[in-house]
Amino acid sequence: MPRTQKKGAIVAGFLAPHPPHLVYGENPPQNEPRSQCGWEQLRWAYERARKSLDTLKPDVLLVHSPHWITQQGHHFLGVPKLSGKSVDPIFPNIFRYTFELNVDVALAEACCAEGAKQGLYTKMMRNPHFRVDYGTITTLHMIRPQWDIPVVGLSANNSPYYLSTEEGLEEMDRLGKATRTAIEKLGRRAVLLASNTLCHWHFHEEPALPEDMSQEHPQSLSGYQWDMRMIDLLRQGKTKEVFRLLPQFIDEAFAEVKSGAFTWMFAAMGYPEIPAELHGYGTVIGTGNAVMEWNLARAGLSKPASKTRASRRVIRQAA
Amino acid sequence: MAVVSAFLVPGSPLPYVKRDNPPWGRIATGLERAGAALVQAKPDVILLYSTQWIAVLDQLWQTRPRVSGLHVDENWHEYGELPYKLRIDTRLAKACVAATSTIGVKSKAVNYDEFPIDTGTIVATNFLNPGGKIPMVLASNNLYHDFALTEKLGRLAARLANKQKKRVAVVGVGNFSGAFFRHEIDIAKDKIVAPKYDRWNKKILALLQAGDGKGLSAALPEFATKGQADMGFKHGAWVLGALGGKFTGAQVHAYGPLYGSGGAVVEFILK
Repeated sequence: MPRTQKKGAIVAGFLAPHPPHLVYGENPPQNEPRSQCGWEQLRWAYERARKSLDTLKPDVLLVHSPHWITQQGHHFLGVPKLSGKSVDPIFPNIFRYTFELNVDVALAEACCAEGAKQGLYTKMMRNPHFRVDYGTITTLHMIRPQWDIPVVGLSANNSPYYLSTEEGLEEMDRLGKATRTAIEKLGRRAVLLASNTLCHWHFHEEPALPEDMSQEHPQSLSGYQWDMRMIDLLRQGKTKEVFRLLPQFIDEAFAEVKSGAFTWMFAAMGYPEIPAELHGYGTVIGTGNAVMEWNLARAGLSKPASKTRASRRVIRQAA
Repeated sequence: MAVVSAFLVPGSPLPYVKRDNPPWGRIATGLERAGAALVQAKPDVILLYSTQWIAVLDQLWQTRPRVSGLHVDENWHEYGELPYKLRIDTRLAKACVAATSTIGVKSKAVNYDEFPIDTGTIVATNFLNPGGKIPMVLASNNLYHDFALTEKLGRLAARLANKQKKRVAVVGVGNFSGAFFRHEIDIAKDKIVAPKYDRWNKKILALLQAGDGKGLSAALPEFATKGQADMGFKHGAWVLGALGGKFTGAQVHAYGPLYGSGGAVVEFILK
């Protein structure tokens, strides 16, 4: 780190789920299909999150998505500009989105290197023809539709699916710590995005009209109760208790946080015992989704770096 | 009988993008042999099921007449791109969509520009049907369908092809043992990740070679769990369903490791 460069900081983390239905409901110009309405509570939750993100003025958004699955190692987007059309393989009828994003390659490389130092198998993704997954794109669109902040995209190694949940999440803990070190070394003001649904029990058939909200409700009462229990604990800042319960929550609510983003984000933030701000909760084809924020800057838990010369350059390139 | 040839092939991109690595090159050679056998059987259509085309709502069937593009594998991006060019038998695919309700399955047609074709489908097509000359029916792997239901889907697709008086090649794309190395290895020394998986793969291959349908049916449930068969060996269910149990043996064109998982190229010998 150059002597003049300030130490970076994570200024906030968001639980930022990625149902493509939210993009579909919003009807942005980038998405081909048109909807009449739908999932307003969650979309308005994201509107509140967007306002908060705006005040944080981050240099970079880091997103961990369960839909970029890499069986060998933790991978990082490593091409300065990526563009294309993302068609959701599960919901092609509602998500066909033309995207263009800028990657903070220097930070991605630093995260990759720090991960390796933590004993993880890490790899940079350098192929310019790579198609960015719909989870990454949906989360990024919903939190920052202007696409004017550079991004670091992390894959899901899905270690908790191959190892025990606890062993797998321990890997995600190391990945989070590595991410934090990289951010600090490169002097970035960073916001983390954990692209995860909570309870993941879902319906197996789609309504004829996808946005027919008369058909939308929790798929499972027990899953809904689990979500409320975890959200309530998070709103009280009882992080230790949340992580004590996490394996049970994952097993009983089939929670998507098993893929690791949630643990990665909390490890990077240092497991702060601060109350989360719940921007909103809603179901999508029966799954439980919460948009939540941990504002470390407001809590005095980060000493945000002012924009460095390097980060200003990345932002100019993005613009 | 509508089915004139049938194959099980692995869906890993490694034999295609990195065939200069000897263990993967041997599988590539096996895939080419299978491709030659498929062409020789002169099918009118290929019914292909890939474990890597994942669906969770409904059963999806590709119905876009022509599909082409360039795919980069999510994991093996460093080895380059996978170009693809496919021709779809839309009449038969739509017949499948319409008919699955008879076996209690809701289906949906997929006809979208830039729809992401999975690595397994692309690799199998590039080896078995280069340039997509033979029309195909592509079926997804719904994660909530079990072995028995997938058998029914395969049987239904073959029956509908027969109704349209078509000669059919059936292809199931997936691995045998699905366990793999999670860390970096010396790829020239690739091997099945553990001896027990190697034993299980060889047991299933021997039953296929012997044409022992009953023995196979008895062994497959245990193979799915103890042998960690890729997706419960549902790609096998697709082929066995389409064949209706009518095969007398199998030729193994190649068998070997694909970053620790079990890859086999199998051609069924039909009655």
